[in-house]
Amino acid sequence: MPAADSNLQSNGEVVVSVRGLTKVFKDFWNRPKARAVDGVDFEVRQGEIFGLLGPNGSGKSTTIKLLLGLLNPTKGHIEIFGHSPRHVQTKSRIGYLPEESYLYRYLNSRETLDFFGNLFHLDKADRNNRAEQLLDMVGLGKTQTRAVGEFSKGMQRRIGLAQALINDPELIILDEPTAGLDPIGCREVKDLIIALAKRGKTVILSSHLLSDVEDVCDRVVIYYGGKIQANGTLKELLAKPDSLRITTPVLSRETLEKVLATIRHDISTGEVRVDNPTQNLESYFLDVVAKAKLAAHETSGAQSGAKVAEYLRAGGDAQQTTEKVLGKLSLPQAAPIEAPKPASKTIAPGADENKLAELVQPTAQPAKPAPKIEAAKPVDLSRADEKLSSLLGGKK
Amino acid sequence: MQRILAIAGLTWKAALRFKLFLVIAVLLILAVVGLPLIIKDDGTAQGFTQIILTYTLSAITALLGLSTLWLACGTLARDIEECQIQVVVTKPVARWQVWIGKWLGIVSLNVVLLAISGGCVFGLLQWRAGKLPAAEQKILREQILVARGSAKEPNNPAAIDADTDRVLQERLKSSAVEKVDLPEVRKQIREQVKAALQIVPPGYERSWKINLGFARDRLAGKPLQLRVKFNSAQKSASGTFGALWMVGDPPKTKYWQTEAPMSLAPDTFHEFEIPPDLFDANGVLTITFANPNQTALLFPLEDGLEVLYPEGGFGLNFARGLGIIFCWMALLAALGLLAASFLSFPVATFFALALLLVALSSGTLAESVESGSVAAGNEETGQAGYSIADIVLIPAFKGVLAVISLVKNYSPIDALSSGRSITWGELGSAFAQIILLVGGAFAVAGMLLFNRRELATAQGTQ
Repeated sequence: MPAADSNLQSNGEVVVSVRGLTKVFKDFWNRPKARAVDGVDFEVRQGEIFGLLGPNGSGKSTTIKLLLGLLNPTKGHIEIFGHSPRHVQTKSRIGYLPEESYLYRYLNSRETLDFFGNLFHLDKADRNNRAEQLLDMVGLGKTQTRAVGEFSKGMQRRIGLAQALINDPELIILDEPTAGLDPIGCREVKDLIIALAKRGKTVILSSHLLSDVEDVCDRVVIYYGGKIQANGTLKELLAKPDSLRITTPVLSRETLEKVLATIRHDISTGEVRVDNPTQNLESYFLDVVAKAKLAAHETSGAQSGAKVAEYLRAGGDAQQTTEKVLGKLSLPQAAPIEAPKPASKTIAPGADENKLAELVQPTAQPAKPAPKIEAAKPVDLSRADEKLSSLLGGKK
Repeated sequence: MQRILAIAGLTWKAALRFKLFLVIAVLLILAVVGLPLIIKDDGTAQGFTQIILTYTLSAITALLGLSTLWLACGTLARDIEECQIQVVVTKPVARWQVWIGKWLGIVSLNVVLLAISGGCVFGLLQWRAGKLPAAEQKILREQILVARGSAKEPNNPAAIDADTDRVLQERLKSSAVEKVDLPEVRKQIREQVKAALQIVPPGYERSWKINLGFARDRLAGKPLQLRVKFNSAQKSASGTFGALWMVGDPPKTKYWQTEAPMSLAPDTFHEFEIPPDLFDANGVLTITFANPNQTALLFPLEDGLEVLYPEGGFGLNFARGLGIIFCWMALLAALGLLAASFLSFPVATFFALALLLVALSSGTLAESVESGSVAAGNEETGQAGYSIADIVLIPAFKGVLAVISLVKNYSPIDALSSGRSITWGELGSAFAQIILLVGGAFAVAGMLLFNRRELATAQGTQ
């Protein structure tokens, strides 16, 4: 569920403006070697989660490096908060997570955050306070004295994410933020991105993982060959205006046939499809791990943090985020894990009559009745609520 | 400042965690303690102390210099290659602050390493001096473990040039000289004019008038020391030559003279004490040398004769000497960072080392400038060839030599090993010339290059 659905601030001020941006890499003799970015235009507004999507080598990371002043554009114009990307003071409003966690290997995680806190001119108490909260948030609270060089890739991503948030930035630029993270880490990062956007932060996210972008982004640009191939909100880009999907609880065969008869009255049989919706693998995995955790299985390395640092929460609309994350968390967990049996039916073009017969079978001959959704709901909601509470610090 | 100090602190953490600090410190201490065990000396306490000072300080300078250059190239270039710099410069820190922070980190490391190794040298000297018999200890503390002021006859190149031109004009009036030969003729005449000032023929005498300046007020009643060196074109059977000295300008002043000729070896420095209060009311000390030998002796204008007088203690003088070595290290740090500002680590290290070698072997450049050409001379005519390259290169070489001389004009190791004073003025001037002027130029160039550089072209190599 993209954040745009409930995001009320996407029409805010322009935070990033890119016009005619071109980057040509040249060789030693100044001959053009590669046109990494070619005439790109886009704007990012306050509170938006903006996705840069594209295959490897399509120009996403180059665009991000141009936005950060790490590369100089060959042509075009970039403004961040109305200033050049090289404007030093503007950088105090930006948090950046590079595609790899380029951190000093000899520093431990606490020293890493302290160092970057110093670059933001934070006083000692503030640095300590934020470092404490961020390390808890990214699940590295128990590995504060280990050198970053000894960390796994996933742990390095987590500390990288923490350093990107040490200054409570208004604009967060994340280059492949879930690369190297386990599914729990991915989910936490995505939840965090949504929570940050709810607090008016602007997020620019680059990824080639479609699920990352689909889960969190309001608006995306799709790159290929250095050029923007598509640009718009996910709703605009993904909606199929010429088809319709209806999701209902399980229906009796008679009711279903009545519905289908009504539908077939208007359209041909071949264009109607009936099947069970499935949860995605990520949701299923998270549920398995949550159960394992309840059974107190120990793990080494990074812990699941899932708790947004207090200073990042300040001043936000907790209720809105609660609803948003509640929706995200409760939806996939509604179905029981052991027996993901049909709980509802979807009617869509392209139905299969045999499949239809199979789908209605459990209701017609309930050899072993499927668990009712209503019975599962209280458990799932309390778990979601618990997670939400720790994520946003709201009341249980 | 918080940002600069944070970056400087990072260099410290890297040096400590990668054990670089420990390794350099151990090497320096080994050099200080180990060298006195393997070097040979002339058997005297003074000779041994001089050699310890010269070798240990030279070893410290060389070791620290190389490690400084390597570290300076590495700290910035590797940050760029391993991409950590991408995270740093996207924070609100200007690139010049990153550059200065790196420099400050290396320089502060040097301060500590220099203090540790210098402290070891100082302690070793004091410990050894304390074990000597009282008489030797007295000589050592008067000649080496002391800070002595120095006064020389002013070396006046303008007067030499004026005399050279006068003689040249007279020569040109009497006989014509080809235009192409003129520089060579002038060079020969200049050598003759210089020789007339340096050479004392057999049976002749030569006087030096040395102004002690403001030091005269503090030198009343204190014995002074003469430091002399001469060369001879011929060898004597005994290996030494006689020397008759008179110091003072009677009847204006008291005077002292040698009863019998002193026996002195050529090509080496000799020091001997002269009684106090031989200078006149203006502080001018007159020294006369008479040559009783059958051969001419040559006293070089630069270091032929020098008056040394007590000025201060060894401890502070030693610290000032280390201060000048520190200035060199700070310059090397700036050179390394300048190279790393636009080059990769291995290339930057090579570039910086190459520049250092050019600076250390500036004799070839000086020879080219002196001959006025970079081309080899014609062996048949003995004349140097002149080309278009000379028009560009000779002024460039002059500029390079001028810059090098700003740095090489200081010789703290020589001064300390000969017990000569390094004044606060000298230290201040070294700081201004080496760090502010030359180091500042390196820093400005380095910061400009670093500021213009695209920092995200490298792929991480960590």
